Amino acid sequence: MNTASRAQVVLNYALLILFTFLAVYPIVGVFLASVYPPHSQPTSISPPSHFSFHNFVTAWTQGHFALYFRSSAIVAVSVVAGSTVQSILGGYALRTMRFRSSKDIFYTFILGLIIPTEATIVSLYYDIRALNLIDTWTALILVEVSGEVAFGVFWMRAAFMSAPRSLIEAARIDGASTWRLLWRIMVPFAWPAILTLMVLTFADSWNEFFLALVLTTSDQHLTAPAGLQVFSGKYTMNTPLVSAGAVIVAVPVIVVFVLLQRQFIRGVLTGAVKG
Amino acid sequence: MENIAVQLPVTEISAPKRAGKRAWRRAERLPGEPRRIAYVYLAIPFLIYAAFTIVPLVQSFDISFYNWDGITPGTWVGLANYKSFFADPVIRGSYLHTLVLIVFYSFIPTAIGLLLAALLSRMRIHGLTVFRTLLFLPAILTDVVLAVTWTWIYDPHGPLNTFLGSIGLGFLRRPWLGDFHFALPAVGVFGAWEEYGFCMIVFIAGVMKIPTSLYEAARVDGANAWHEFFAVTLPGLRYELTVVVVLTMIDALSTFDEVYVMTGGGPGTATTVPAFEVYNQAFLQGQVGSAAAIGITLMLVVFAVSYGITKILEPRGE
Amino acid sequence: MAGVGYQGVTKRFGDVTALSEFSLEIADGEFVVLVGPSGSGKTTALRLVAGLEALSSGNVLIGGRVINRVAPKDRDIAMVFQDYALYPQMTVQQNLAFALKMRKSPRAEIEQRVLQAAATLGITELLRRKPRALSGGQRQRVALGRALVREPQVFLMDEPLSNLDAKLRVQTRSEIKRLQEQIGTTTIYVTHDQVEAMTMGDRVVVMRDGVLAQVGSPRELYEQPADMFVAGFIGSPAMSFTAVSATSNGSGRVTLSRGDLRLEAGAARELPAEVIMGVRPEHARVWDDGTRLIGPISGRVEYVEMLGRENLVGVAVTDESRLVIDADADFGPRPGDTIAVGIQPGRIYLFDPNTQKALGRI
Repeated sequence: MNTASRAQVVLNYALLILFTFLAVYPIVGVFLASVYPPHSQPTSISPPSHFSFHNFVTAWTQGHFALYFRSSAIVAVSVVAGSTVQSILGGYALRTMRFRSSKDIFYTFILGLIIPTEATIVSLYYDIRALNLIDTWTALILVEVSGEVAFGVFWMRAAFMSAPRSLIEAARIDGASTWRLLWRIMVPFAWPAILTLMVLTFADSWNEFFLALVLTTSDQHLTAPAGLQVFSGKYTMNTPLVSAGAVIVAVPVIVVFVLLQRQFIRGVLTGAVKG
Repeated sequence: MENIAVQLPVTEISAPKRAGKRAWRRAERLPGEPRRIAYVYLAIPFLIYAAFTIVPLVQSFDISFYNWDGITPGTWVGLANYKSFFADPVIRGSYLHTLVLIVFYSFIPTAIGLLLAALLSRMRIHGLTVFRTLLFLPAILTDVVLAVTWTWIYDPHGPLNTFLGSIGLGFLRRPWLGDFHFALPAVGVFGAWEEYGFCMIVFIAGVMKIPTSLYEAARVDGANAWHEFFAVTLPGLRYELTVVVVLTMIDALSTFDEVYVMTGGGPGTATTVPAFEVYNQAFLQGQVGSAAAIGITLMLVVFAVSYGITKILEPRGE
Repeated sequence: MAGVGYQGVTKRFGDVTALSEFSLEIADGEFVVLVGPSGSGKTTALRLVAGLEALSSGNVLIGGRVINRVAPKDRDIAMVFQDYALYPQMTVQQNLAFALKMRKSPRAEIEQRVLQAAATLGITELLRRKPRALSGGQRQRVALGRALVREPQVFLMDEPLSNLDAKLRVQTRSEIKRLQEQIGTTTIYVTHDQVEAMTMGDRVVVMRDGVLAQVGSPRELYEQPADMFVAGFIGSPAMSFTAVSATSNGSGRVTLSRGDLRLEAGAARELPAEVIMGVRPEHARVWDDGTRLIGPISGRVEYVEMLGRENLVGVAVTDESRLVIDADADFGPRPGDTIAVGIQPGRIYLFDPNTQKALGRI
C-alpha cells in the first residue's frame, strides 16, 4: 500500500504531526499554566521560570476540589456500577428470552438514545425537587443511570447477540438457570464489550456538567466539572489556580483513557452507531 | 397443566377452539422457561429509565403548553411557546448561531478528517496508536476543563493575543469572547478543535478498510489523486461519513457546557444556543414553559437532522 | 435408558410449518438417524425432543412420559451441537463438568465422571486447555465428552460431523457408532449426508419438507424406497430416472418404451400407461450377452467420470434423460460413442409419475 512518493510521505507525516500537535497544544498549555507561581499571569503556552505546585494545594483545600473530586468519584462509580449491571440484565433479557413485548420494549430503549438532557431537564428539576432530592448525589446518580441505561441496554444486547444461540442452548440443556447462564457464561463471553461500556459510562459521568449544574448546589455535592465552573468564576484573574483545578478534574479521565484506550476508542467508534 | 398420561393415543392436544392467544403463548414460550422471567430482568432497568427519562419527557411536553414561572400556577397557552420559535429573536438567534456552529463543529472537522485520511490512505502509518491517543484527547476530556483552558487562551492577555502580537499581527488582538462579532466564531473554533481529531481517527480507520485493489484498479484506469478520492475513497467512507456528520451535528446542536463557561450566552445574546436558552429561560428567567418547548423542539430537530443525514448519505440503506 | 416417541407432532414458525404430523417410535437403545435436505424438518424434530422449541401440537415422549412442557434440563437428555457450543472461557475440564456442577453433584463424582469420559474419548491431555486452543476435531470430542458425562437417557446429535474435514469425518463416524453400541444409549442423530445415515443408523428416517417420507433400516430404504424422493436421496451415486410408457403384453410381461428405448420384463401387477423408471448405477452395466440382463438399451455416451476403482458413464437413453452406469475402470468410451447397456433383473424401480410413489420393481 506504500504508493506514496517519498516527498508525499514526508508531507503526510508533517501534516499528521502538525494536527496532532495542535490537538494537544492547548491541553499542554493548561498543564503548564497550572504550575506557574500563584497569582502570576501566564500569557503564553510555555513553561514558567519557577515551577510551583502550590496551586494544586490551594485548589484542593481552599478551592474545595477535594470535595468536588469526592462527589464526582462517588457519583461516577455508582453510575458505572448501577448502569452496567442494569444494562447487562436488560440486554440479556432482550437477547435470550422470547416474550411478546420484546420488540416494543427494545424500541422504547432505543428512543432514549435520541432524548437529549435538554428535553427533560426542566421536568427533572421539578421532579427531583418534589422528591426532596435536590443537591444530593442520589439525584445525579439516578438521572445519569437512567440516561446510560438506554444506551447500555442497546450495547449489551448487541454484545450478547454475537454469542451463538447454540451456546445459550447448550447451557440450558446443561441445567443452567437464566441467572447462572448470564453470569457464568454470557458475561465472561462479552467481557470486552462490558469493559468498554464501563469506560464510556465513567467518562460520561465524570464529564457531566449540565445535570450537576441544575441538580446540585452546595460544595458538598457539586461534581468536578460544576465545581470547576464555580471555581473559575470566583478566581477569574488567577489563571494558574484555575488551571490547577482544571488539571485536577482532567487527570482521572486521562488516566482511565490511557490505561484502557483500546476499549475507549473502540467504544466511541462503534458505539457511535446510535440508530 | 395437562395430565401426564403414560401412553397417549395420537391426539391433538390443542383444541382448535382454544387457538389464538393461548396457542400463541404456548407455542412461543420455551418449555420449562419460568413465566415472564424476562420481565423480572427488565423491571429495574426499565423502571429507572422510564422514571427519569420517559416520564420527564412527557412532563416537559406537557409543561411546554403552559406559561409558567416555576412557582405560581401556570396558564395554558397552547402552542404559543412553539410559535415563538420564529417570533422570539433570542430563540431564533440561538438557532442561527447553531447553524454557524454546525459549520465549525461539523463541516470543518469533517473536511479536515477527510483530507488527512485521503492523504494518508496511500501509506502505512507508523505509531498510529500514539497519534490516535493524542488526537482523541480533546474529544474525551471534560468540556468544562477545555472551555476553561480556551477561556484563558482567548483572554485579552492570553496566549492567542500574545502569539498574534509576537508575529506582527498585533492589530488582530481583541477580547475574543467579549466581542460581539467574534465571540461566536471563537466558540466555533473551539468546537472545530475539539472535533477534528475524532473525525480524523474515524476516517483513517475507515480508509484502512478500503481494499487496496480498488485503488489499484483506479490507477490502472488512469485516475489521478483527485479522481481516486471521489471514485474510491469517498464512496468507501460513506458509512463513516454518515456517523461523523451525524455525531458532530448533534454535538453542535446540543452545545451547552462551553457556551455557559466561555461566554454565558453573551456578550448579550450573541452566542446563545438552544440548550443554553433552555437553562437560561427555565432557571434564570422563570420562563419554564418556554424552556420546555425549546427542549422538545431541540430534540425533534436533532432527530430530524440525524434521520435526514442518514437518509441522504446512505440512500440504499446498507 | 429410554425410548423416544413422537405423536402427531407439528411445529409452526409463524406461517411456516417446519414439521407436520410427525409420528415415530424410537426404541430404547436404538440409533436413529434423521436425514433429509435442509428445510426437511429434521433439526426441528431433534430440537423438539431437546426442548429448545415448543410444540405447536402433538406429543413428544421420553421413556413413555409426555415431556412437552418439561424444561430441557429436566428431560435427562444431552445434545451435541453442530458448532460444538463449548463454553469459551472455561477449560475443557470445566466444560465437561459444567452440567454436573449445575446439578450440584458431589465433587468426587464429577471428577470421576469427567476423567472417565475424557479417557474414553482420548482427550485427557487436553483437560487444562481452553476451546480456542483446540483443533476442530478435538473440540468435537469435547462436545461428545460433555454429552457422555451426563449419562443421559437420550443422546441428541445435530450434524456433529459436518464441520470436520472428510477424512476425520469418516474416522469419527465409526467411533461414534462404536461408542453408542458400547454404551447403549438411545440416540437421535441428524444429518444431511445420506452416507452417514446409511452407515450409522439402526434405522433411518428420511424427511422432506417437514414430513416423514420413509422410515426403515438402511437396507429397507435402499431395497424398497417408498417414493422417488427417497429412492433418489438414498444411495450414491444417485438413481437415474427416465420417463417411459408401459404397455402390457399380457401374461405378466410388460414393455417399457420411449423413443428408441425398448425394454421387456416380467411384471407382477398392473401398471399405468406412463411410469417413471429408476435404475441405480450399480445395477446398470455395459451390455454383455453372456449375463442375464434386461435390455439392451442403446445410447450415446455423454460423459465418463473416472473414480479410480470404477468409471461412471452417463448415457443418454432418451431425448430427456440419461442413465448412469457403473463400468470397469478400463472401460473408457469417449463422449459421443454409442454403447449398449443392460440392467440387472429386478432392479428397475417403477414410480407413478403423478404421486411419485413406488409401484414396485421389475
